[in-house]
Amino acid sequence: MTVATVESGWARSWRKNVRRHGWTLGVWLLLVGLMVAYAALLPRFGAFQITSIAKNSLPLVYLAIAQAVIVIAGGIDLAAGAILVLANAVAARLMEGQTFPVTLAIAVLVIVMATVLNGIVGWIITVSRVPDIVVTLATLFIFSGVALLVLPSPGGGTSEGFRALFTGSTSGTGSNFVPPLLSMAVPLALVAWWMRRTETGLSLYATGSNRVAAYLSGVSTGRAKVVAYAIGGAFGALGGLAALAITGSGESRLATASGFTLRAVAAIVLGGVALTGGIGSVVGAAAAGIVLFTLSPFLSALGVDPNTAQMIQGVLIVVVMMIAGIVELRRQRAL
Amino acid sequence: MTSSSILATSQVAKRFGSVVALRSVDLTVGRGEVHALLGANGAGKSTLVKILSGVLQADEGQITLHGRNLRLRNPAEAQEAGLATVFQDPALIPDLTVSENFRLTDVSEQEVVEWLERMQMSGVDFDQQIRDLPLPTLRLIDLARALTREPAILMLDEITAALPADQAEQVFGVMDEWRDKGRSVLFITHRLGEVMRMCDRATVLRDGRNVATFVPREMGEAGLVEAMLGEAAQGPTTVQTAVAKGPVALETRQLRSGDRLKGVSLELHAGEVLGIAALEGQGQDRLFALLAGDRPPDSGEILVAGDPLLAQSPYDAVRRGMVLIPSDRLQALLPQRSIRENLATPLYRRVGQWWGLAADEDDRVRSAIDRLSIDTRAGRQAGRLSGGNQQKVVVGRWLAAGFRVLLCFDPTRGIDVRTKQQIYELLRELAAGGAAVLLYTSELAEIPLVCDRVLVLYDGQVVGRQAAHEATEESLLTAAHGLSSEDVA
Repeated sequence: MTVATVESGWARSWRKNVRRHGWTLGVWLLLVGLMVAYAALLPRFGAFQITSIAKNSLPLVYLAIAQAVIVIAGGIDLAAGAILVLANAVAARLMEGQTFPVTLAIAVLVIVMATVLNGIVGWIITVSRVPDIVVTLATLFIFSGVALLVLPSPGGGTSEGFRALFTGSTSGTGSNFVPPLLSMAVPLALVAWWMRRTETGLSLYATGSNRVAAYLSGVSTGRAKVVAYAIGGAFGALGGLAALAITGSGESRLATASGFTLRAVAAIVLGGVALTGGIGSVVGAAAAGIVLFTLSPFLSALGVDPNTAQMIQGVLIVVVMMIAGIVELRRQRAL
Repeated sequence: MTSSSILATSQVAKRFGSVVALRSVDLTVGRGEVHALLGANGAGKSTLVKILSGVLQADEGQITLHGRNLRLRNPAEAQEAGLATVFQDPALIPDLTVSENFRLTDVSEQEVVEWLERMQMSGVDFDQQIRDLPLPTLRLIDLARALTREPAILMLDEITAALPADQAEQVFGVMDEWRDKGRSVLFITHRLGEVMRMCDRATVLRDGRNVATFVPREMGEAGLVEAMLGEAAQGPTTVQTAVAKGPVALETRQLRSGDRLKGVSLELHAGEVLGIAALEGQGQDRLFALLAGDRPPDSGEILVAGDPLLAQSPYDAVRRGMVLIPSDRLQALLPQRSIRENLATPLYRRVGQWWGLAADEDDRVRSAIDRLSIDTRAGRQAGRLSGGNQQKVVVGRWLAAGFRVLLCFDPTRGIDVRTKQQIYELLRELAAGGAAVLLYTSELAEIPLVCDRVLVLYDGQVVGRQAAHEATEESLLTAAHGLSSEDVA
C-alpha cells in the first residue's frame, strides 16, 4: 500500500502543508498585502515601481537566503554582510572598464572565491569548536578590512550588460522587471529545492534540528556545516554583485557590512527561520527580505519619518514573533 | 550453540577521564543468533553499544566483523560495515518529515514500508513531522529503516522499553525472522522475561567486564539476576535508623503524565526516607519532574503538607519547600561562581536582597559549609570541586534556604564511596531533623542502607512496596524487572 494521505485525500494533505509551512505562507501573504497597500498609496504603480522594488531588494534577499541556509544548519554568520561588501569591492575593482563577457567571468570567479572562503570559515568552526558567533564576528572585521584595502574609497565600475543582468536596464533604472525577478527567483528556487529534496540539503536541516540524532543516523554533521557556510558565501557574493549592478560602483564600509548582517538576521527571523536551527525555509526568508526592504519606501510614502520607520520595522518583527509564539504554545498544549 | 562467530570484541576498554566505563570486554556474537547483553545500571552496556555503533571509539581492544578488523570512526562507518543500531532515542530528525528522514539517510521508502507492514504498522503518514509522532511509532520506523540496510548485526538498545505489548510482539517477530535469515541480533534489555523467551545466548557485563556467557533458558531468571549482581560488593555500611513517623509531608494521588506515569500514588512522612527503585526509563524522571514543579501532571494531585501543589515552575515548588537534588550536579550549580554564591542562590529571592545578603543569612551560608564539611579550597569556582563536594554544595544550598521535602534524583551518581557514605549520613540526619526525603537511586544496593521504605516503579506504576530493611538488592531487582512482586506492606 502507499501512504495514508493518499486515501484521505487532497484536502488533508493541503491542510497539513498549510500547518507545516504556515509561517512561510503568512510572510508571503504579508508581502502581497504590503504590495497592494503600496500600490493603492501611490498615484502611479506600474512596471517601474515593481522593477524598483525587485532589483533594490535583491542584495538583502540574497543575504537573507545566505543567512537562512547557515542558520538552518545550526550556525549563524555575522560576517554575511562583510562577504557582500567584500565581493562588491573586489568585483567593482576588477570589472571597471571591462566588457560584458569579462565581467561575467569575473562575477563567476568572485562567487567561487566567496564560496571557498566561507567554506573555510565553516571548516574552522567545525574543527576548532569555537562558537559560530565568535568566529564570524572575527571574519566580519577581517573581510571588511580586506574590502577596504581593495577599494579604499567608493568607486570602481562594471559593464552595462552586467547591470542589465540584475536590474533589467543598462543604466540600472528602468521598467523591465523580468531580469530582476528572474535573478531573484531562479537561485531561490534552486536552493529551496536543493535543501528539501537532496540528501545533502536535508543534512543541513538535520544538523540544525538535532545534531546528535543526525550524527547517529549517519549524517556527516561537520560536512553539513561546511556546505552551509559555503553556500552562504555564494549568496553573500551574489548580494554584493547585485549591489554593484544597482549602483554601478562599489563601496566598502564596515557600517554597510554590519548593517546588512543585522538586516539579514531580521529578515530570516521574520521569515520563520528559528535561530536555534532546523526550522524554516529560504523561501520565507526571501519574502521577509522583500518585506523589510519595501517597508521603508512604503512608510515614507505614508509620510512617516525615516527614524520612526526603523522603529516600526522592529515592532513588526516583535509582533510577528509573538503571534508565532502564541500559535506554537497552543499547538504544544494540544499535544 | 553457534560455532561460527560474526562479531567479536576482544579486551575492549574505554575510560572517561578518571572514570573507567569498560575495563575489558570480550563478546562473541554467532551467526544466526539472538544474543542478549545484560548488566545492571552502570555495568557498561551502553558504552559497549556506542563503541560498536561508531559513536565512541574504544581506547584499547579490537573489534572483528567476519574475521576482519574494524575501526569505526563514526556511525556512518558502522552502518556501512553492517552494524545497524536502533537506539532508545530514535535517531530521527524531529523537524523533518518521515520521508525526508529516509531521503536524508539514503533509504528506500518502499522497503521501509514493506518492513513496517510486516510489523502491522501500515497506517503511518510519511508526510508527518517526526516530532508529531508517538515514541513507539518512531522506534518501529527506526527499526524498519535499520532493517532495510540488511545489517549483519542488528543492535537493539532497550527497544522494548515503553513499547506496548503488541508492538513488542512485532519486534520479536522481526528478531526471529532475522535469525532465520542467518543474521544476528544483539539485544540489550532490562526485561528478563524477554531474554528467556527470545535469546539464544546472553553475555553479562559487570563493572566494565564480561563476567559470564550462557544460554538463558538453562540458567533461569534467578540465575540471570545473580550473574548481574555478582558477589555482594563490600560497600558502605548501613546508616538506616528507625524513626518515629511524623505527619504526611508529601502525598500524590494517581499522578499521570503522558505515557510515562500511569497513576502513581505515594505518601511520604516527615522524618522518613522513602526510596524509589526502578530500572532506567520506568517513569521516575517524570515523577521527579512533576514533584519539582518542572511540568504539571496531566491528572492527579500533589499535596504538600496537606495542601495541593499547583506549580507552574520550580519556583512555586521551591516556595512550598519542595527542593530537588539532580544527579547532574552541574544542572543545579553555577559552575563559574563561588561556593558561597552557590549556597546563597535561593536566598536571593527577594528583590531587596539582590545587592547582598542580610547578616543572619550570611551565617546560614557559613553554617551550611561547616555542617557539610565542604572543602572550600577551590572556593572561587564551584565547577572545580570534585563531584562529591559539588553535590554537597547542592545539598548545602537547600540547607541554607530551608525546605520541607528533599527530592533526590540519583544523588550519588559517579561519586566515590566515602562521599557517598557522607551523603547517606546527611540524608538520615536531615530526616531525623524532621525533613522528608524522597530518594531515587540507580544503585539498588543503596536502598536498604538509607531508606525506611521503598516503592518499586515499573512502566509508570508502583508495582511493589517493601520495608527497606527487608529489601535486598535481589528482591528489588526482581521486582524492578516487573517480575513476581512480593508485596510486603
